[in-house]
Amino acid sequence: MLFPTLRNPLPEGGGKLHQFFLVMRITTILLLAGFLQVSAAGLAQKITISGKDIPLKVVFKTIEKQTGYVFAYDDEVLVEAKNISIHAVNLTVKEVLDECLRDQPLYYTIEDKTIFIKKKLPEKKANLTQAISSTYALTGSVKTETGTPLAGASVTIKGLKKAGITDSKGQFVLEGVPAGKYTLQISFVGYESFEMTINVADNLVAINAILKQALNILDEAQVIAYGTTTQRLSTGNVSTVRAADIEKQPVSNILLALEGRIPGLFITQNTGLPGGGITIRIQGQNSLSRGSDPLYVIDGVPYISQLLPNISTDGGILGPNGNSNPSYAPSGGGNPLSFINPADIESISILKDADATAIYGSRAANGVILITTKKGMVSPNRLDVNIQSGWGKVTRMLPLLNTQQYLEMRREAKTNDSSMVRASDYDINGTWDSSSNTDWQKKLIGGTSHYTDAHTSISGGAVTERTNTTFLIGAGYHVETTVFPGDLSDKKGSLHFNFTHTSKKIRVQFFCDYMVDNNSLISRDLTQNAIKLPPNAPALYAKDGTLNWALAANGNSTWVNPLSYLSQKYSFNNKNLISNTLISYQILPGLELKSNFGYNNLQTNEISVIPLSSIAPDRRPTKTRFSQFSNGNIETWNIEPQLTYKSKIGKGILDFLAGTTILKSNSNLQQFNARGFNSDQVMKDISAASTVSVSNSIASIYRYNAMFGRFNFNWQNKYIINVAVRRDGSSRFGPENLFHNFGSISGAWLFSNENILNKMLPCLSFGKFRMSYGVTGNDQIGDYQFMNLYIPYSVDVAYQDGTGLIPEGLPNSHLQWEETRKFQFGLDIGFLKDRLLFNSTYYVNRSSNLLQAYALPILTGNNQIQVNFPATVQNSGWEFLVNLKNIDGKLFKWTSMFNLAIPKNKLVSFPDLASSSYASTYIVGQTITIHKSLNLIGVNPSTGLYSFRDSHGSVTSSPDYPGDATALVNTDPKFYGGFQNSLSYKGFECDILFQFTKQTMPNYYFGNRPGAFLLNLNTGSIIANQPVFVLNRWQKKGDISSIQKFSASYPSAVLTPFSRALISEVAYSDASYIRLRNLSISWQLPDKWKQKMHLRSARIYLLGQNLLTITNFKGMDPESSSVLRLPPLKVLTFGIQFIL
Amino acid sequence: MKAKYKIGAPKLRVGILFFSLSILACKKLIEVKAPITSINAENVYESDATAASVLTAVYAQISDLNNDLGNGSITSISLYAALSSDELWLYNKNDPRLLPFYKNDISDQTQDGNFWASIYPIIFISNSAIEGINNSTSLTPAIKQQLLGEAKFIRAFCYFYLTNLYGDVPLVLTLDYQANKALDRAPKEKVYQQIINDLIDAKKLLSANYLNSDALTAYPVGSEQRVRPTSYAATALLARVYLFTGDYINAEAQATTVINNSAIYTLSILNDVFKKNSSETIWSLQPVRTSTQSNTGDGAFFILPETGPNAGSNPVYLSNNLVNNFEQEDHRRVNWINSVVIGADTFYYAYKYKVGLIDTTTEEYIMMLRLAEQYLIRAEARAKQNNIIEATMDLNAVRNRAGLSNATYSTQIDILTAILHERQLEFFTEMGHRWFDLKRTNNIDAVMTNATLEKGGNWNSYKVLYPISQSEIVLDPNLVQNFGY
Repeated sequence: MLFPTLRNPLPEGGGKLHQFFLVMRITTILLLAGFLQVSAAGLAQKITISGKDIPLKVVFKTIEKQTGYVFAYDDEVLVEAKNISIHAVNLTVKEVLDECLRDQPLYYTIEDKTIFIKKKLPEKKANLTQAISSTYALTGSVKTETGTPLAGASVTIKGLKKAGITDSKGQFVLEGVPAGKYTLQISFVGYESFEMTINVADNLVAINAILKQALNILDEAQVIAYGTTTQRLSTGNVSTVRAADIEKQPVSNILLALEGRIPGLFITQNTGLPGGGITIRIQGQNSLSRGSDPLYVIDGVPYISQLLPNISTDGGILGPNGNSNPSYAPSGGGNPLSFINPADIESISILKDADATAIYGSRAANGVILITTKKGMVSPNRLDVNIQSGWGKVTRMLPLLNTQQYLEMRREAKTNDSSMVRASDYDINGTWDSSSNTDWQKKLIGGTSHYTDAHTSISGGAVTERTNTTFLIGAGYHVETTVFPGDLSDKKGSLHFNFTHTSKKIRVQFFCDYMVDNNSLISRDLTQNAIKLPPNAPALYAKDGTLNWALAANGNSTWVNPLSYLSQKYSFNNKNLISNTLISYQILPGLELKSNFGYNNLQTNEISVIPLSSIAPDRRPTKTRFSQFSNGNIETWNIEPQLTYKSKIGKGILDFLAGTTILKSNSNLQQFNARGFNSDQVMKDISAASTVSVSNSIASIYRYNAMFGRFNFNWQNKYIINVAVRRDGSSRFGPENLFHNFGSISGAWLFSNENILNKMLPCLSFGKFRMSYGVTGNDQIGDYQFMNLYIPYSVDVAYQDGTGLIPEGLPNSHLQWEETRKFQFGLDIGFLKDRLLFNSTYYVNRSSNLLQAYALPILTGNNQIQVNFPATVQNSGWEFLVNLKNIDGKLFKWTSMFNLAIPKNKLVSFPDLASSSYASTYIVGQTITIHKSLNLIGVNPSTGLYSFRDSHGSVTSSPDYPGDATALVNTDPKFYGGFQNSLSYKGFECDILFQFTKQTMPNYYFGNRPGAFLLNLNTGSIIANQPVFVLNRWQKKGDISSIQKFSASYPSAVLTPFSRALISEVAYSDASYIRLRNLSISWQLPDKWKQKMHLRSARIYLLGQNLLTITNFKGMDPESSSVLRLPPLKVLTFGIQFIL
Repeated sequence: MKAKYKIGAPKLRVGILFFSLSILACKKLIEVKAPITSINAENVYESDATAASVLTAVYAQISDLNNDLGNGSITSISLYAALSSDELWLYNKNDPRLLPFYKNDISDQTQDGNFWASIYPIIFISNSAIEGINNSTSLTPAIKQQLLGEAKFIRAFCYFYLTNLYGDVPLVLTLDYQANKALDRAPKEKVYQQIINDLIDAKKLLSANYLNSDALTAYPVGSEQRVRPTSYAATALLARVYLFTGDYINAEAQATTVINNSAIYTLSILNDVFKKNSSETIWSLQPVRTSTQSNTGDGAFFILPETGPNAGSNPVYLSNNLVNNFEQEDHRRVNWINSVVIGADTFYYAYKYKVGLIDTTTEEYIMMLRLAEQYLIRAEARAKQNNIIEATMDLNAVRNRAGLSNATYSTQIDILTAILHERQLEFFTEMGHRWFDLKRTNNIDAVMTNATLEKGGNWNSYKVLYPISQSEIVLDPNLVQNFGY
């Protein structure tokens, strides 16, 4: 490729103006029309050809036959051509031609249906005209190894003030280069820097630079807000997890693939059921009462962090999702990230500090999680198939009493109470078989879940002189059953599509992700039944194979058979569509105008049924069939026009970004209760119900508009400064405070690039000090909170046949953002050619202007008002990350990763706390989740009851709560992290990730009223069996024990100390654990086999999740710490992956 | 290089234009209307229907909360004030919510029967409505006038009970919570003046006819639903307020206005007084619940089942003191009082409302103002003005309806005593009449010293006023607790 020496970069004067208007016109088209029809080159016909040592002519004829293209060439051009060996199956003309002409002195062009084959000319001499100057124009192109042009790469001639940026075709021109020898340096994010010596003279040739993907993790591309960077050049605190690590984990929610990998990211899986809720906190909880969820952005489209409310409260069976704001922004169970296939994800970036997040302004206070989906690459078409299948089991069971111990407890309780065995004491009055001993955990939650996941994708891409097109189509199927008995499963089908086309100055990128999820569960988590059913409860099935209701002589059932819940079906069906179109236009080299057009639609359908067959036969006459229906829809539009400018200024590179966001989100929900079906079979049909009532309806709109800008200046890769600003407006705030400004400033000093230090510390290969400060906001306060709303006052019979409207609380038109000021500094160093990399960060995030319900005297008409309260919450802590290349041999490689976070949450100030309604909730200087607990001394040896020390120091068994709650319990993690080792030898690879957490959590040491037998046949709730811990109970005067005496009836004298013990500090205990979070072993088939099968890659693997848990927690699972919800599962899968 | 700097200008221009467009767009882009599931205050008072709905909701809410007379909502004054006085006896002496009232042993920690907390929110709605309606420009004038009248009437009605229960109370007349949260008590006289002003306004604004829920159309004659206040309701309440404040001339005049409207208001026969829309009803509330709660909460609470009083839904019965006060031939003793006999014990109960907790159609409405009171107000006002003859006529009107013969009185003291006695028999267990009468006639210490002893407590003069809850005192720094608490 050749360029004339003199090239007028732009027409003068009027030309500029013309160009300006052209730009505006195109901008308008981009912004208003939204979509541009861009036709891809029509080289679609596929060619199959194979053979050894074939003359080119034969190949050309074959192509002509198979496609209809015609070749045009002089025979003499083929004289120098070599015969070729080719094996092409279903390749495009272009691919075949590229292959044929690769090492030939020929090149081809295609015009219409004619392919011209021409001889490559010897590189022409630079056309020098002495009269003008003795300088030269250096031209060239920059591409990746796969041939994709790299736009925006910086090109520098060392020692000269000459630098440039490549255009959208990857080409550059550096003009006015005097003759001489120079070092040319080309760098691009995520690629190894390219250097070559050039001799600028008369025979100047075009440079063809091919940049290799960076192998050093410092240089891997890292997706950040509205752009990319590398760990080397980043000024902020950003961590990235890539597809390679996500793929190693058999999880159906990408968030679960992050556990233990990112310092500062704390994740709690709240249930082991598929699609269940997950609590996620980045650098702790900032808000006292409002949402603390991070902002999720998927390929430029903001994604919801909470689902719409479920038909059942508290998230139902899917479990809570970390919503700390349910009364203002109610949400449902389950996690919205469940509706994205992890196999379609390329990388996840977790943005933590102000530098990384401030550009997201009011949505950034709780951190940002950027999810980037997979894209095609310029390469021959590639088919990737990955199938795995495996099993899951509950991580940890609770040791419970067996029948002998249980009956002993019950009889002892009766003796203690000196009470008689009642007719309803079925467990000990002979109604139930006292010799049967059932392990209910084994029966109800001890099953094996089956896990199957299949994913396939086709991708490819082609480059022509003027265009570059890539595509990827992925399809996934996922089935996961539960550990409950019965036929319950979560089935997902997903489709992922990505298309990128670059031509001349226009780039179009379209991505679309669609998932259909049918989660068929039951409305009740059987874990609580498994824990609380007595071990001698009746058998599940009667002799005739039907459900056993254990009818007493009078025909009444004596229990609620837990399997009856299996017919109380609950289905949770979701359809999730995320799509984004990016259109970009390069106005000038380095100056690009682009816009995102994002759309997300999540449709939710829920049906829950309580058929009569799930109710004991004797109770059916008094019950009616009951179904609940819910239809929800969240729809979000997001348009983000942006202008980016990249330029070399002096020895530095300037990156400038400006943009605006226009977002609108509609949430709609209708929920219905339906009764009066005449058969169990028709209960999923709402029209079969005789009475239907609306139980909930939501119709809310959220609008958001912002302007943002970022300025980044990198001076010689030594000093980097980054400034981000954002002005946000949100419909969630009062007219007095519609807009607010956010921003950050940060800097990095790469001291290892200082020559002096380089010489002094030769083993130091990388050293960076970074610091950032900024202001971010939290707008997760719920919609319409500022408005003076009137809501319908509904009564059974309308008053005078008219409707009623009542004001909903006191409005506050001054409502505004919660604000989090984030400060952080960090030191990143690398030794021994970056074989040892050490990152450390210290952060202090202070949140203020917190939204709280401010208590008012009721004489104002309302007992509270939502105000921005001048309380301050601080999250501070240390984060460490070590990456180690222990052994980096040709055959054997061993790398390690260790990360650790030490967080601390503290309420810094809360004006007038003592007189506020929060006096018993918070303590200044303590974490905001502090548990004020009673001071339990132990069991009084003479009374057998728990005794406590009250606030005056005296001993009592009926302490006052919260008056005597002087013991403080902090359930925040003390520290947490992960330790990963990756080993590879030839085709074998092995990854082991341990995750650890040091924390205190509520335990199940005291059980639930040991000795009692409380059965509610209406609700099915039962309190009977207890954990083995209760065996250490008081039995007679003088006994020293840690559990108070058993009681069957729990009179208030016994119940009070028991229920007080549950809120004592002893009810919390160490729940630290080390978990083998992930194990992955894979074997790549030998090359010979793959060649025979024509596979590019083939491997078989074994994956394990949560395989081992080391803890001495006095409860079920230390992560979820609940006995009401199913603990997380350990999953083991086997799989095969091949690439064609 | 040179070229690069030159082209900076258009770049800048692009940028500036780009941003100015966004700024222009900004505010529009983030404005939202109220969700379809609710209505914004700005437009609630812009349409006749929604504005009327606000007042309708006030009546519906008061009526709805009448379902449980123990819940401390405004109509449960009928229970709590009767318990505090000498009208009711408590069967279950362990009832935690009623016992403090029964034994006249309420403290600032007592959670139940917190009328302060149930009445001020209604005042807030009245204030919202008054402000909204006054500011509205698009309401039909007739409707605007009626609704404003209703809101002022409700506000006066609320303050009447507040000041009678608590004495001096903060006078909240605006929506400014910043100012309101630190209000101190206004003297009783000032509160009464506000009540009178509101009622005079209401009397002028309100329609004389009973209106539909559209606050515009009147019911056809003879089929009125007497469930929205009329100008006569305002007049009737004004008569009471004048009587309570000692303005006997005005009390007489207002009562006369109501009594003279005999086309609408006549004394019903005893068994019909509490039937819905009885000719005696000046203002009542329509029950809004179904099945067993289709009728009044008073009926459900006071009417004893065959098993007698219990610890659950029927914990009170009439005191012997009240029952024994009736003359032998007084028909009210038979028609308004009923009894159950359990063993050796006879439990008497209020039988004014005759439908209890049974699933039947709505036959009775919750009585708020009735004509008999106007006669006794005028009797008392005339007696106070030494017009004993006319006072006696009014008193006899009520006595005659109860089947009693005409009585004659020679002295002012005699007739005043007779009127107080008559009020005790006529209004027992109705909206605190007895409790308030004892207070305003200064008979309370004399009566309650014995009555409280009988109930198992100790009387003290300061107990004529209920205490303000401690939490309220904490939140409003300028609020002072009633003496004695």
